[in-house]
Amino acid sequence: MNGIVFGKYLPLNSPIHKVDPRAKIIALFILIASIFVPKSWWCYLFLGIIIFSVVLISKIKISMILKALKPTTFMLLFLLIINCLTIKTGEIWFYIFSYPIYKTAILNTLFIVVRILLMIMITTTLTATTKPLDLTLGIESLLSPLKIIHFPYHEIAMMISIALRFIPTIIEETMRIMNSQKSRGVDFEEGKLREKINAILSLIIPLFTVAFQRAFELADAMEARGYVPDKERTRYHQLIFTFKDLMFVIGSLVILGLMIASRFYL
Amino acid sequence: MCYSNTFSKVVYNRIVMSFIEVKDLCFSYVEDNLVLDNLSFNIEKGTYTCIIGHNGSGKSTLAKLIAGLLEAKSGSIKIDGLEVNATNIHSIRSKLGIVFQNPDNQFIGSTVRDDIAFGLENKQIKREEMDDIINKYAKEVGVLDFLDKEPTALSGGQKQRVAIAGVLAMNPEIIIFDEATSMLDPKGKSDIKKLMSLLSDTKKYTIISITHDIEEVLLSDNCLVLNKGKVYAYSKAKDVFNNAEELRKIDLDIPFSLKVKEAFNKQHIKLKSNDLEGMAKELWQLTSNH
Amino acid sequence: MAINFKSLTYIYDEGMPYAHKALDDINLSLIEGKITAIIGQTGSGKSTLVEHLNALLLPSFGSLEILDRTIVAKQKNTGLKALRKEVGLVFQFSEYQLFEETILKDVAFGPKNYGASEQEAIQKAKEALKLVGIEEKYYDISPLDVSGGQKRRIAIAGILALEPKILVLDEPTAGLDPKGASEMINIFINLNKQKNTTIIIVSHDNEMVYNFADNTVLMDHGKVIFNGLTLDLFNNKELSDKYNLLKPKIVLFKELLTKNGFKIDPNIRTIEELSKYLAKEINKK
Repeated sequence: MNGIVFGKYLPLNSPIHKVDPRAKIIALFILIASIFVPKSWWCYLFLGIIIFSVVLISKIKISMILKALKPTTFMLLFLLIINCLTIKTGEIWFYIFSYPIYKTAILNTLFIVVRILLMIMITTTLTATTKPLDLTLGIESLLSPLKIIHFPYHEIAMMISIALRFIPTIIEETMRIMNSQKSRGVDFEEGKLREKINAILSLIIPLFTVAFQRAFELADAMEARGYVPDKERTRYHQLIFTFKDLMFVIGSLVILGLMIASRFYL
Repeated sequence: MCYSNTFSKVVYNRIVMSFIEVKDLCFSYVEDNLVLDNLSFNIEKGTYTCIIGHNGSGKSTLAKLIAGLLEAKSGSIKIDGLEVNATNIHSIRSKLGIVFQNPDNQFIGSTVRDDIAFGLENKQIKREEMDDIINKYAKEVGVLDFLDKEPTALSGGQKQRVAIAGVLAMNPEIIIFDEATSMLDPKGKSDIKKLMSLLSDTKKYTIISITHDIEEVLLSDNCLVLNKGKVYAYSKAKDVFNNAEELRKIDLDIPFSLKVKEAFNKQHIKLKSNDLEGMAKELWQLTSNH
Repeated sequence: MAINFKSLTYIYDEGMPYAHKALDDINLSLIEGKITAIIGQTGSGKSTLVEHLNALLLPSFGSLEILDRTIVAKQKNTGLKALRKEVGLVFQFSEYQLFEETILKDVAFGPKNYGASEQEAIQKAKEALKLVGIEEKYYDISPLDVSGGQKRRIAIAGILALEPKILVLDEPTAGLDPKGASEMINIFINLNKQKNTTIIIVSHDNEMVYNFADNTVLMDHGKVIFNGLTLDLFNNKELSDKYNLLKPKIVLFKELLTKNGFKIDPNIRTIEELSKYLAKEINKK
């Protein structure tokens, strides 16, 4: 459980933590868009410096970014091999066992690596600096215009926040059921396929049973406290979009603008 | 049956109009298997009533029916003259709060503060007023120090206190405790029971507690004994154990002090006191009198 | 024969910044063939202790001797699955482990995991269900369609079907009504008497512990404070006051009587014994 860093909130105190989640979500999309615009390496150096500074300001450790990147290494390696096998244009750079490797293949792969690295840096910064609950509130608020087409944005946000609230509880439950079944001789690590399937069933079925029971009880508790899904509610957590947040969004728009301009002038 | 009638009639006839009136209530989950069978009883405003009965006697079902979480098959429940039904459900719920059995499955917010706020949001309380209300009730139940804690960092007893704060913040007239202490450790149990007693002493709330804890009955005003979906006995709490044999017939326990009294009775020693301290003194006096 | 904890320490998330020492240098000997209760406040390490008994947790330091095998910290321990058959562990709210289509199949699940044939497993399941008082008419019902108390008994049968030499139960009566709880306890007493099964129970219910546990272990903050006869623990006023033991009512009553001047036989356990004893005292004078 401790190995997963992607999407983990870090309870630190940085200027980025204080930015309104909506501003952060919008900026995320704008910056991801800007990553895919430019063609010049200079632009990537520029984007890299900007995004790296944001990471530094958020007080996220570089090791955390590297850990988040780890799961992608296999994919990138695969991509490199595919590119080397398929791209056969331009200058030949070197040979591996007399197999020609083209410069374009390497550069194309590198391009993708840089883009993915930047994307992971941006998304990790968002999730590491924004409480899951605030993120939900932000998404809810951004989706709220969709109410004209009767999109149930509030229900969806409520579902996400309850899911987030119950993740630790369900993990605890999973551990307990696993231990119960281990005590009945279930081996979760080894065994033939049939035994493995049985082992998983012995975990999944009770887990679902308990989760449903929890869901029903939770529904009763919510209803008893006056919750009606489509009724208007006031909000305890209110997001306040300040001038600073606006500047944050404008800043990212400027970057996007610069990147678009680079296509014409560089 | 005669046992039940004598008790319920005493309470019945005295009252003209009760705060909670249950009349001929029937309920079943599956056809032909009545969980509640023609149940009738009244509860007065500001009282603390325990509902006891072994598992499957219909206690929890009754609580859900009163709160309008289930719909009766026949018969009626009136709260403050208002019938519990689909049309009135929102006005009924604004008068009533429930503390459920499982501390985890009623913790909705991601922190204590958020959880108390949940009901306030539903009630459309203005944001500016929320903090004061949250602080007031968090203090009342003793969770003020961990308003920003997440549920995983709290003990069962603390979570139940948060649930009580969440209910109190809604300013209810009736609070139902549905086996609210049964999943707690001894410390949690005694903390919550003390809190319930305190709430009862304010006389602001009508309290209904569904419980297995026979000792809790001694803290309450009235006690309703359910058996097989019927009222088995209904009386002042202190009188309900007068007929211990009747309770044993339906597998209910009796308080320790009564067991002591019974045991000495068998040895032909009649004790007058009802509490252990008094009994100990009486016994000592018996030795010195001889 | 005994179960021996030797300087056993257990640390959750060892090496992490939020590491937490749940058991602190435990030296403890539990006698086989007895009913032993393990008591202590929430977080005192009771559950961590018993999860060592069937090697769900392995010691961080020290060792555990159980049923002619020794589990040593930081060593490769093999054959743990076999140990789990001999030391049956029933978790808190064990009814959540039920998952097969019928009650009989669910109870037979354990024996099958240990290589019993279908027939043998069913036979063992039937015996186990009999021990916990589940009648034959329930065999083909889904375990999810019976009452909470019955589910708990079926879950316990699921472990009993393994025919463990040592049965460990974490809060087996939590959430049951008084009648269900006392029936449950009688199952354990019978097992202990008839099959000489060692019973180890983690419990918060001191009334129950006082009534039927031969020995009691008191834990506090990951340490063993007391290990000995149940009566000795509760008769020890100093110790029970220091650790805020919730005293059984009969003990409180005995203390009240002593305060008034009576001399009470410390071996008295029930109200019946007490009333007879006092009646004699009173009539003597």
